[in-house]
Amino acid sequence: MTDDKDVLRDVWFGRIPTCFTLYQDEITEREAEPYYLLLPRISYLTLVTDKVKKHFQKVVRQEEISEIWFEYEGTPLKWHYPIGLLFDLHASNTALPWSITVHFKNFPEKDLLHCHSKDVIEAHFMACIKEADALKHKSQVINEMQKKDHKQLWMGLQNDKFEQFWAINRKLMEYPPEDNGFRYIPFRIYQATTERPFIQKLFRPIASGGQLHTLGDLLKDVCPSAITPEDGEQKTQVMIHGIEPMLETPIQWLSEHMSYPDNFLHISIIPRPTD
Amino acid sequence: VSCSMAGEEDFFLGEKRFKQCCQDFVKHSQQIGDGWEWRTSKDPGDGYLSKTHFQVRNRHIPPDLKEKNNDNTEQMLFAQVEEPSDDPQAAGACSTEEVVRYEYHVLYSSSYQVPVLYFRACFLDGRPLTLDEIWGSVHASYQARLQEGPWDTITQQEHPILGQPFFVLHPCRTNEFISAVLRGSQQHHRNTNYITLWLSTVGPVVGLNLPLSYAKLAPEQSTDAAVA
Repeated sequence: MTDDKDVLRDVWFGRIPTCFTLYQDEITEREAEPYYLLLPRISYLTLVTDKVKKHFQKVVRQEEISEIWFEYEGTPLKWHYPIGLLFDLHASNTALPWSITVHFKNFPEKDLLHCHSKDVIEAHFMACIKEADALKHKSQVINEMQKKDHKQLWMGLQNDKFEQFWAINRKLMEYPPEDNGFRYIPFRIYQATTERPFIQKLFRPIASGGQLHTLGDLLKDVCPSAITPEDGEQKTQVMIHGIEPMLETPIQWLSEHMSYPDNFLHISIIPRPTD
Repeated sequence: VSCSMAGEEDFFLGEKRFKQCCQDFVKHSQQIGDGWEWRTSKDPGDGYLSKTHFQVRNRHIPPDLKEKNNDNTEQMLFAQVEEPSDDPQAAGACSTEEVVRYEYHVLYSSSYQVPVLYFRACFLDGRPLTLDEIWGSVHASYQARLQEGPWDTITQQEHPILGQPFFVLHPCRTNEFISAVLRGSQQHHRNTNYITLWLSTVGPVVGLNLPLSYAKLAPEQSTDAAVA
């Protein structure tokens, strides 16, 4: 299925043009120029912003520097969410480039996890992959892999190496021939308007009669408010990787082709733009 | 004792049974004034156990748990002498005793089908404790248990219902030790509350203790009230 493999590449190589600006209250020795960067949708803020940090550290006084953190329009950005998810959820219908504010002080302890090193990102990434496999395969596939395979998943992500990553990840996308899909689908549904950070539930890709469940079936079951009644106007968009997949799409196919590298489908429910 | 467990679906904790065990647990907690309550989130079906308590904490940090930490405030705290100082000047700006607010939540993981312990602590001014500061108040014998216990690690994670940072005891090997004990429990015709069993094992490692009366928490009793 060459078309389907193209989807994997399109997902992997998605980028968001971003403008980083230093927070105005940060004390600087000279004026801080904004820094422009194309951010990979599938990666994490603290993994790909070393150059941003270096750029602004040059103008901020040494004693003022503490852990870097990012904010968009007053909302601290959770580095442990993939970049594409953060953009879809908070800024997808705004003008590019995405404007992110950089902070070095007053780390928001109540909102953000600490990220003291790349090891923390790796641990988080691998924990997500393991949880996804617990859902898909009762952890059998991930547990049968060697440590070096786990490492290869992380290195593939860190170094932006599609082939290296998918050489191992393809095993996490397989299922026994007698089944028609995974045991449960790893997914999380996010809505910026709710207090709860996301919805995650057990959901089977195949119905008891053997039919493939669709994205629409998932939403109806888990988040019915996202699908407004037919007589009303559709007030929300259902977005994955910056696009609105058709609700008829089989969820098994979405899981295999549009998951993030952590093997989760991260789905945003956002207000539909009015014009 | 063998720990065979592959495919033993019996001891995976279904969500219904989790909720039932929590309800029984809370009932007993109310009887003895232990402070646990059941909280529901906006999604009606969802909920978790919660307990908050306050503790006066001595500033005693075992040397082998010192954290390499960037934060200057924490460096200052860790530079304390291990015994409380008689001389307030020598102790620097910090007093040797402070009130700390501990919060413990028990949530259900549908992915691993086990309960998961989330916890955090902060001083009264709102400043959160680091993991090492929390460990500093855990008894030394439990600190050793943390090394050998059936859990991979304690990490900081986002609370799935509140969306705030908590520390979490990683759940992926919970079922190993629970299954072994529950199997023995069933052989002796004892009904055990899963939450009591699990929490009495993992709780003390992070400073949370259960009064022994929880051991009597089961509908059908054997004459032997001891928990396995």
